[in-house]
Amino acid sequence: MQGWKPRLPTRLSRTHRYGLAVVSVSIALGLALLLERWHFRDAGIPLFLFAIAVTAWYGGTRPAVLALLLSCASFDFYFVEPLHTLYISLFALPYFVAFASFAALVAWFSAVRRRVEGDLRQARDHLEVEVAERKRREQETRSLNEELGKRTAELEASNKELEAFAYSVSHDLRAPIRHIAGFTELLQKNSASVLSQKSQRYVTMILESANRMGTLIDDLLAFSRIGRAETHKTMVSLEQLVQEALSEVREEAHGRDIVWSLGGLPVWFGDRSMLRMVLVNLVSNAVKFTRTRPHAEIEIGSTDHTHDQLVVFIRDNGVGFDMKYATKLFGVFQRLHAPEAFDGTGIGLATVQRIIHRHGGRVWAEGEVDKGATFYFSLPKSAGGVDL
Amino acid sequence: MSLGRILMVEDDPKDVELTLTALEEYNLANDVVVTSDGEEVLDYLYCRGNFASRSDGNPAVLLLDLKLPKVDGLEVLQRIKSDANLKTIPVVVLTSSHEEKDMVASYRLGVNAYVVKPVDFHEFVNAVKELGMFWAIINQPPPGSVRRA
Repeated sequence: MQGWKPRLPTRLSRTHRYGLAVVSVSIALGLALLLERWHFRDAGIPLFLFAIAVTAWYGGTRPAVLALLLSCASFDFYFVEPLHTLYISLFALPYFVAFASFAALVAWFSAVRRRVEGDLRQARDHLEVEVAERKRREQETRSLNEELGKRTAELEASNKELEAFAYSVSHDLRAPIRHIAGFTELLQKNSASVLSQKSQRYVTMILESANRMGTLIDDLLAFSRIGRAETHKTMVSLEQLVQEALSEVREEAHGRDIVWSLGGLPVWFGDRSMLRMVLVNLVSNAVKFTRTRPHAEIEIGSTDHTHDQLVVFIRDNGVGFDMKYATKLFGVFQRLHAPEAFDGTGIGLATVQRIIHRHGGRVWAEGEVDKGATFYFSLPKSAGGVDL
Repeated sequence: MSLGRILMVEDDPKDVELTLTALEEYNLANDVVVTSDGEEVLDYLYCRGNFASRSDGNPAVLLLDLKLPKVDGLEVLQRIKSDANLKTIPVVVLTSSHEEKDMVASYRLGVNAYVVKPVDFHEFVNAVKELGMFWAIINQPPPGSVRRA
């Protein structure tokens, strides 16, 4: 905390305070004597009371007591018969007691008032300091926010740059891969008769690798496109998107015994083509990872859409996965199975995650080895979703 | 069946060879003119420079790559589509680029087709074959382009 210096009421030194008692009583006495000369005899008491009040105000309680005593003495000495003695007759005693009590009361009020005022002033000063402090903090917050905004902009810019870089790299990689695949194919076709069986196998492997690299690059390009593309959000029928996803995977599912159960998918707010990609990816994964099952069951549905978000799930009875790898599922190029067992580039779930994040939602998965897996994604209502 | 002339702009000789091989497989390669940059293709179309003595009219189709030295593909496209004598030439963009921006820009400029070269050679051959078949044989080019019997 800076500058916390409470402005206490100005404190007079002890000498000054007691001096004030003497001086104010003297002035009151002088005035009283002066007025008495002009026959204002009763002016004494208010003047002394005033002197006591002033002393109590500026000097505090003890000087006020001194002023009270001095006032009593002066009054007795100059105005009470017998004059010029400090003798107080029994008859005048109640009068003095009353005066002293009244003066004490005035002094007490005055002192209390003084103290209250001091407290108030202190409180005000304290408040001022607090306000200043708060202003400073506000300023700090503002500048931090500005800094944050700047950093965010920088980050966004460098992110965009990185995306553009990734894009152009993948793009430029595509041409040589096409050439490798193309000429290898031509080699295979033109020279198959002169190549040994071993060499022919090599050529086939070159081709496979080149094609796989091509797929990887294309998937990466698609992934990078999602990061750069604008989202166009509208009301989307998830039911319909699931139907579209199903027809997309029809070929993969052909000839398989798959029991589909679908239901409870609402209309929700989102980017149609992106959400479609999410569903195609998840449904195609479910089909792929139940391949080893003679009887596959895939369930697609939603929960929770009465609250502030929608949760969609895709459940299968496929090969599943170990929950300790659950967080790894959504990384780029992360694969839990050997490519020979299940094909794929390891970009699908990363794409899913990216799309859902762009919608302000979350993706997660539950699974058990050989029992099946359930993939969930949430879409918040804050993005404008509504109930059916 | 008459065969329209295919004009191709492609700066990468390997791509030229692959495309020509694909066209050859279907005997579509005997009237293909290859130019290697944007300037050369414009010289061809305007019959100037190396092509000043040319008098065989417009090609049946132009296969245009977007990434080209000197004058790039989109600019070539824009020049063609804003020229009264050239704008009837069907232009097919044949590119490595999946970029939506390029695609949108090409369609805005009036491209007739946009094809992304597939990595897989079979698919590539099929794509080029179908392009060649459609534009050089099936499609009736506008008057002014010359067909060989």
